[in-house]
Amino acid sequence: MTKLINGTTRRGALKTLAGAAAGATALPLWARYAQASSSEPIKIGFQQHSTGIGAAYGRWYGRTTDAAVKLINEGGGINGRMIELIAEDDGTDPKRGAEVVEKFATQHNCDVGFGTLFSHVVIGSSPRAGELKLPYFVVSEGHHVASGMLNRYTLQPGITDVKSQVQAMAPYVSENLGKKVTMIFPDFAFGHDHRDFFSAAIEAQGGEVLEKIAIPPTETSFTKYFPQIPRETEVLYHVMVGPAVLTFVKELGEFFGPSSPAIFGFIDSLEAVDIASPGLEFLEGTYFWEGNPRYAQADQTEHDKFFRAAVGVDDNGASVSDPTDVSTYAHMFGCWETLHIIKAGMEASGYQGTGDRAKLIEAVEAMTDMPESQAHPQGAKVFNGKTHQVFGHQYISRVEEGKLVRVHTTSIEDTLYPDEVDYTTQPL
Amino acid sequence: MRALGLLTLLLVPLATLASAHASEQGFVLLLPTDIYIMAGVATVALTVVVLALLPAKAGHAVFRSLSVAPVPSLGLRHVTSLLSTLLLGALVWRGFTGPGDPLSNPMPLFVWTVWWVGLVSLQGLVGNHWRWTNPWTGIAALLAKATGLRAPFRYPRKLGHWPGVVIFLGFAAFLLTDPAPADPARLAAFAGFYWYTALLGVVLFGPAWLVRGEALTLLMRAYGRMGLLGRARGRVSFGLWGWQVLARPAPALGLAVLMVVLLGTGSFDGLNETFWWLGLLGINPLEFPGRSVVVTQNLIGLVLSNLALLLAFALCLWLGERLAGMRRPLREVFCLYAPSILPIALGYHIAHYLTSFMVDGQYVIKIVNDPLGHGTALLGLEDFYVTTGFFNTPGTVKAIWLSQAGAVVIGHVVAILLAHALAMRSGVDTRRALLGQAPLAAFMVAYTFFGLWLLASPRGL
Repeated sequence: MTKLINGTTRRGALKTLAGAAAGATALPLWARYAQASSSEPIKIGFQQHSTGIGAAYGRWYGRTTDAAVKLINEGGGINGRMIELIAEDDGTDPKRGAEVVEKFATQHNCDVGFGTLFSHVVIGSSPRAGELKLPYFVVSEGHHVASGMLNRYTLQPGITDVKSQVQAMAPYVSENLGKKVTMIFPDFAFGHDHRDFFSAAIEAQGGEVLEKIAIPPTETSFTKYFPQIPRETEVLYHVMVGPAVLTFVKELGEFFGPSSPAIFGFIDSLEAVDIASPGLEFLEGTYFWEGNPRYAQADQTEHDKFFRAAVGVDDNGASVSDPTDVSTYAHMFGCWETLHIIKAGMEASGYQGTGDRAKLIEAVEAMTDMPESQAHPQGAKVFNGKTHQVFGHQYISRVEEGKLVRVHTTSIEDTLYPDEVDYTTQPL
Repeated sequence: MRALGLLTLLLVPLATLASAHASEQGFVLLLPTDIYIMAGVATVALTVVVLALLPAKAGHAVFRSLSVAPVPSLGLRHVTSLLSTLLLGALVWRGFTGPGDPLSNPMPLFVWTVWWVGLVSLQGLVGNHWRWTNPWTGIAALLAKATGLRAPFRYPRKLGHWPGVVIFLGFAAFLLTDPAPADPARLAAFAGFYWYTALLGVVLFGPAWLVRGEALTLLMRAYGRMGLLGRARGRVSFGLWGWQVLARPAPALGLAVLMVVLLGTGSFDGLNETFWWLGLLGINPLEFPGRSVVVTQNLIGLVLSNLALLLAFALCLWLGERLAGMRRPLREVFCLYAPSILPIALGYHIAHYLTSFMVDGQYVIKIVNDPLGHGTALLGLEDFYVTTGFFNTPGTVKAIWLSQAGAVVIGHVVAILLAHALAMRSGVDTRRALLGQAPLAAFMVAYTFFGLWLLASPRGL
């Protein structure tokens, strides 16, 4: 049941030998390898959406996770121990999610659980992780961690939550695009979060939401809703998701023609979709939130460059082996960063084995500043140990010649909101 | 579309293992699928008209077979069957001991991608390979030889093929309604148990168990009748899909029902993913809560779909007999025409699984390249990344969709031709044959629409 991504592959060993030959500084690395291969591995249970509604995301989460584990192992592992990744499919199903968490804790004797994306699976699995006292590191963007509905063993240190993302958009939107906003969103929890968080944030900036247009989730044609958009609208905020999103964009373009209000959306709508696709020409000149800029920017950092190469993603955010295979670039860095935090937490707490799980939680809770680095290629972050949620920069990009060009980086302060829970008061 | 939805429920619908790819579906929704659907339906309808105008013999002529070679007498089928058993054993072992991720473990990849999609399609398209590839006949022959014992019981003839029909429905229920049919250990347990009990059936009842009660062999033998290659007059022969059906007697009732159930099950496999079905269950397709919450609903859907299709098919045949002024027993016509459903079921099977096969097939390549996950590159693929890029460009999505639609349309055209040839074979005159077939032909035209609508519908799984 294991997938050992071992640092001591032939290629890894050769590289190390080459490093050793290059100078005496490489010798400790060699020494770490020697020690690592004789130690018990750190077992990380990877709760993967291999099948079900999340599989398209699951594939890229898997690829990023494999790359991060390989990198950490090649660098000597955690406390000198290799990571052994134990991937289990949850079918993007909350009930199976809880079963997978249980399997990690009781059957595989994993040190931690990791990697869940879809909110309903996190919400379904977290209580079991809490009962079994299995540190559960999620990469889901949901506000459920910081809202206080989960427990002390569930943490989200590698990706920001939707509440902070949405509210951080308001200052840029109101100052640059307009203050009179109409929102179009799918009529269920995902859309409602955007509606509620953004409405409050834009009002705090002195703007207003003129109309909130809720679209039934099963809708596949949208033209009939567009007349509800008030004429005085300056900014149209959209967060449509699902198979009909391309139809939505096309019909919006046909409705407005060349004279549209400013249009702002969340890249979730078009994650893994090529922006330059025929039929999406209307997106030219529109704005998107991006969790991490899909296209390599003019001022690309060395860390982003390194991250892309390790995962096998080109400057357009697509697979190096197929330029049409667009990644889930706005989200998948979360797996990479979370694994580096698990490493940092285990090293800070002197983690030895499953008996030290509580020490690991406390070590992560004690974390605060996470500077931009190879471990944090998306940017600097600040972790809030009380709410178990990380906060970081958000990006706003504009579609220019079929590519997303970053026009704004929010401050971390723009993303902060008052604490809604203090998990550290719960027993370990 | 609501009326169509009702129609689909009246007619009939399995859950695929592959995921929804939002971008693929997004591009499908941008395609002029309405026009394509109409073109497909028109093609099938036109086939009906052309058949009515052509001389009576023409329908039969298209299924004429050509003898191509003598039947090779290699006598290796027990050897290959034993190899197949060994492979299954290795897969079950890996299912229990290998990675828990179904895309990294050979057990689910082999069963659901290589066998269920690949080998079943190959059986229907090309011909009966199951004679060589089934995992039972070799070991049964070996056991018989080693022990010198014969089966202690005679297979009860009155049971007919019904045990096979019931077991097939059990298989379909596992595929469609089990929360985790691709979980390697779970699948290994099911597959190992089923292999063992089927072998027990053969030991107790002799080879009759394989051709009466073993559902997978029944499925394969049914599709084997569709293949281009088959045996006739002691030689390997080649003809249009369906020629072997005409060269054989009508199936027994149980087998005939299984043929219809293959289509009923395949159709529900498509239907249960649609926004329409999820809407019926009151589930938001954009946040599908997982298979574990729709077990009962899909079980009911599976049963109702099959019952509805059986009923609709029987009704068309009954009506046809009335129109043609013939009063043959319903059972007789049901058995006569049931094989004409096979090309539709096969066409839909291929169409439905084409996209998942294109993705999961790459994982199969990956695992053949590195079977034990030790970083080997048996196929010379060092850094092999699975891609779904073909779902991201309009041109490739269009080509994929039209291939799927083509499989559905060709399946229906062959079905129409086959039904006509079967009618003529039964010895009635052309006018009566045409009248008698009219309701079934209308049903097949409507089913073309349904099959293409399923391919064009937004899906939530």
